[in-house]
Amino acid sequence: MQRGNTIEALRTNRDEQRLAIERARKALGSIILGKDDQISLALACLLARGHLLIEDLPGLGKTMLAQALARVLGLSFRRIQFTSDLLPADIIGVSIFRQDSGEFEFQPGPVFSQLILADEVNRATPKAQSALLEAMEEHQVSVDGETLKLPDPFFVVATQNPGDQIGTFPLPESQLDRFLMRVELGYPNEESERELIAGEDRRSMLRDIEAATNPEMLMALQESVTTVHVSDALVDYIQALVRHTRESAEIEIGLSPRGAQALVAAARARAFVENHSGAYPDDIQAVFAAIAGHRLKPAGGTRFRSPAELCQHVLDSVAIP
Amino acid sequence: MKTRPRGTDGSLLSSLPWTLGALALSLVPHLPYLPIWITVAFFGCAAWRYIIEKQRRMLPSSWFRALLALICFLGVFGTYSSISGVGPGSALLAIMASLKLLETRKRRDQFVLLFISIFLVMSSLLREQYLWSLPYMLAAVTVIMTAWLRMSAGHRETAKQSFRTGGRLLLYAAPLAIAMWVFFPRLASPFWAVPVDTSRATSGLSETMSPGDISSLSMSNEVAFRVSFEGTVPEPRDRYWRGLVLTQFNGRTWSGREASMSARAHDQIAVSGNAISYEVTLEPTRQQWVFALDMPVTWSLPQTFMGPQQQLARSVPIDQRVAYRAVSYPDYRVEAELAAVFRDWYSRVPEGSNRRTAALAREMRAAADSDQAYIESVLQKFHEEEFFYTLEPPPLGSDPVDRFLFETRRGFCEHYASAFSVLMRGAGIPTRVVLGYQGGEINPLGGHLIVRQSDAHAWTEVWLQGVGWYRVDPTAAVAPDRIDYGAQDAAFEGLGEAWGLSAPSALLHKLSLTFDAINAKWNDWILGYGPDTQNSFMEWLGMKDPDWRKMMLTLIAVVVALVMVISLMLMLRYRAPARDRASVMYRRFVKKTGLELQTGETAEHFGQRVSAHGTLPQSAIDAITAAYLDSRYGPDAEASFVRLKTAVGAIA
Repeated sequence: MQRGNTIEALRTNRDEQRLAIERARKALGSIILGKDDQISLALACLLARGHLLIEDLPGLGKTMLAQALARVLGLSFRRIQFTSDLLPADIIGVSIFRQDSGEFEFQPGPVFSQLILADEVNRATPKAQSALLEAMEEHQVSVDGETLKLPDPFFVVATQNPGDQIGTFPLPESQLDRFLMRVELGYPNEESERELIAGEDRRSMLRDIEAATNPEMLMALQESVTTVHVSDALVDYIQALVRHTRESAEIEIGLSPRGAQALVAAARARAFVENHSGAYPDDIQAVFAAIAGHRLKPAGGTRFRSPAELCQHVLDSVAIP
Repeated sequence: MKTRPRGTDGSLLSSLPWTLGALALSLVPHLPYLPIWITVAFFGCAAWRYIIEKQRRMLPSSWFRALLALICFLGVFGTYSSISGVGPGSALLAIMASLKLLETRKRRDQFVLLFISIFLVMSSLLREQYLWSLPYMLAAVTVIMTAWLRMSAGHRETAKQSFRTGGRLLLYAAPLAIAMWVFFPRLASPFWAVPVDTSRATSGLSETMSPGDISSLSMSNEVAFRVSFEGTVPEPRDRYWRGLVLTQFNGRTWSGREASMSARAHDQIAVSGNAISYEVTLEPTRQQWVFALDMPVTWSLPQTFMGPQQQLARSVPIDQRVAYRAVSYPDYRVEAELAAVFRDWYSRVPEGSNRRTAALAREMRAAADSDQAYIESVLQKFHEEEFFYTLEPPPLGSDPVDRFLFETRRGFCEHYASAFSVLMRGAGIPTRVVLGYQGGEINPLGGHLIVRQSDAHAWTEVWLQGVGWYRVDPTAAVAPDRIDYGAQDAAFEGLGEAWGLSAPSALLHKLSLTFDAINAKWNDWILGYGPDTQNSFMEWLGMKDPDWRKMMLTLIAVVVALVMVISLMLMLRYRAPARDRASVMYRRFVKKTGLELQTGETAEHFGQRVSAHGTLPQSAIDAITAAYLDSRYGPDAEASFVRLKTAVGAIA
């Protein structure tokens, strides 16, 4: 009851929520330089209760972003380095026989944390991958026939290195769908890079950073996100976009209804982060590539070189009602 | 000569089969009339073209195509010895379509092909206008429309959708077509004369009679004419449809004269008793003869006259279906007095032929008391002796009548009419042979009488002093069934036994009668819609003194009204995107900026562009953008719309 009241109290205080989000954005922006859009997306993803897939080359700050998110949002954090010999038990945990008590005792694995960084998720075997993906989907794990709830909130931030091809197990499309968003970080701009090279070590900065929210507040924020207004006109726009992805000659497989739902949820969160009166077409456009990029299957022989380009093409060809 | 690219890239692969199908469908009605090599050439070219597209090969070179075109042109000229007329014209169209296929690289070429196919469909009407022509043409045009739509369709549109759209477009056009058909002024003589295809065999009666000719006609089920009677329908035995009259005999063949007008012929008829009024719808015969019930006194067909032997003929051949009213009297007398010279002429038989018949005539005439008794005795002879009615008579040699009377004794109406006439003439009695139709079948559904080619008949007229010409049908003496029940049953009696056939099943017969009834109505109402029918229809619609000016004006008014109604219907059907108040207001702002809103451009982005443009103050842009987004996408549309209105009003 205590907790319910807190959420209620927090929801009513929109200004406080705004301040918390501003603080979080600022703190993240001080560590990950020049990536405001990606930070905004990552925050929106977590506020929409979604899992995040960061895909980029090594050394561009994927891990740093995940760690910073955990730190700034005040969440317990564990990192799982995915390797080809990783076993499901390494993620979920094992039951150990205690000689002294004569009973099995469950040793929780790293999955029992509020924010998990699944580093280089495509390097593990499908078996280990699916252990994580099942946890992501169900928010619970089964151990020795017993169902254990995972902590709340529960986020998975997975990273994937698109450059590695040998000895990897790329996630199939059906499992990519479990991630609400996929973002790419890309190289920092010149100014930011100079700051990274010459300035303070980011890792030490990370230790000094203060949490902008706590888990309770985060849940209240998530609750508020679901109340963001979605007008009929916006639903028309979403439908037009989805229809276009299904009918376009450039795209073999378009967005599923689940993809459309993801689009609404993410647009709401983005609108909340941006403090819009409702979800705007701009919010849809801002999250579209992150939502649709890994869900669309381009047609063979397409002229678009990347999912981002394809998504931009879709946005450019659908009129906003 | 500049060489044009000849490669194909498979881009026509989705629409080409439809174009080929449309072309083939439009060609089908012509196929029975076209020489076989054109059909082969068309389907060859179609298959060749499809393979080229499928395997992305090169089209044939222009030299090769030119050579092919020359060969085909010479081929058409060689086949028809002409390049004008329906036959050569449609042959050339078909050939051009085939050759055009071989240089079809782009959409534009396909358009040309579809134009040709529409032309081909329409030109099939120059040949025949059957009942099924209309549904067939509708289907063909729908396929052509589909092919048309297939060309411009994106590949998300399925063939079924295109087909439905094509059908719908035709449906929209249908009221216009009907209005034009009803109101477009009909002219008594058409604008252009369709050249008659002389290569076609005439389907009517032959102009001469050498026993053996009618056997093929007897088996043809084709309709010769249909008759609707005003009162009661005469009995089968009284239904003698007078056609042409043959007066000369050369020992083998009976022949008549060219149809010529005789002023006296009509005056020679004296009638009594009840008149029979009826309307005949005559199928085209490409001959002059006009058929009427014995004995016609009035007829409504223009340019039609009565010949010296009371045969009706039109001065121009009947190339199209015609309908006419006529009045006949079954009780009549013709030419009670006949000059001796004519009497002589009508009883002339060539010397030295059919001698045994001549001897028999003299012998039998001597045995009889009078001409009347002689006629009776000859008919008696046919009736009692071993004479048979058959459609498959044995061939007759040099003296056909002798051979028939004394040896074979098997034949049909022509044999009996010929033999009887020779016997009469041999005894000096003036005799002539009448060719026409006898009987006919009442269609219970339409109430009209169907006279088929199988009802073709030959009978005789003899002249007796004081009586005049009167009809004697020797076939009736041999096979009374032929006269009482019709040719088909009589023929089947002999044939069926010989071939082990049974009469057509009752159900099939009923079906064919139903089809005939529909066909008759179709002929009356649709094909028979000429100047007269149109005039009376216009009067029925309330138009006073219809003339082409009034009809034209009505047509224009009706077409304009229909176009408006159909457009309105389509406009109402089309669900316009909901015009939101806020977006209307925002458009006003967009217009003011002088910039265009790009597809997929958000209000925020547009606002930035307007700022960069620098014509409006930043504060106004921001206020409008914010108010618009709040009003359109926010929860409180009403209040923010007021803000938007104020903000947009401020810049006005």
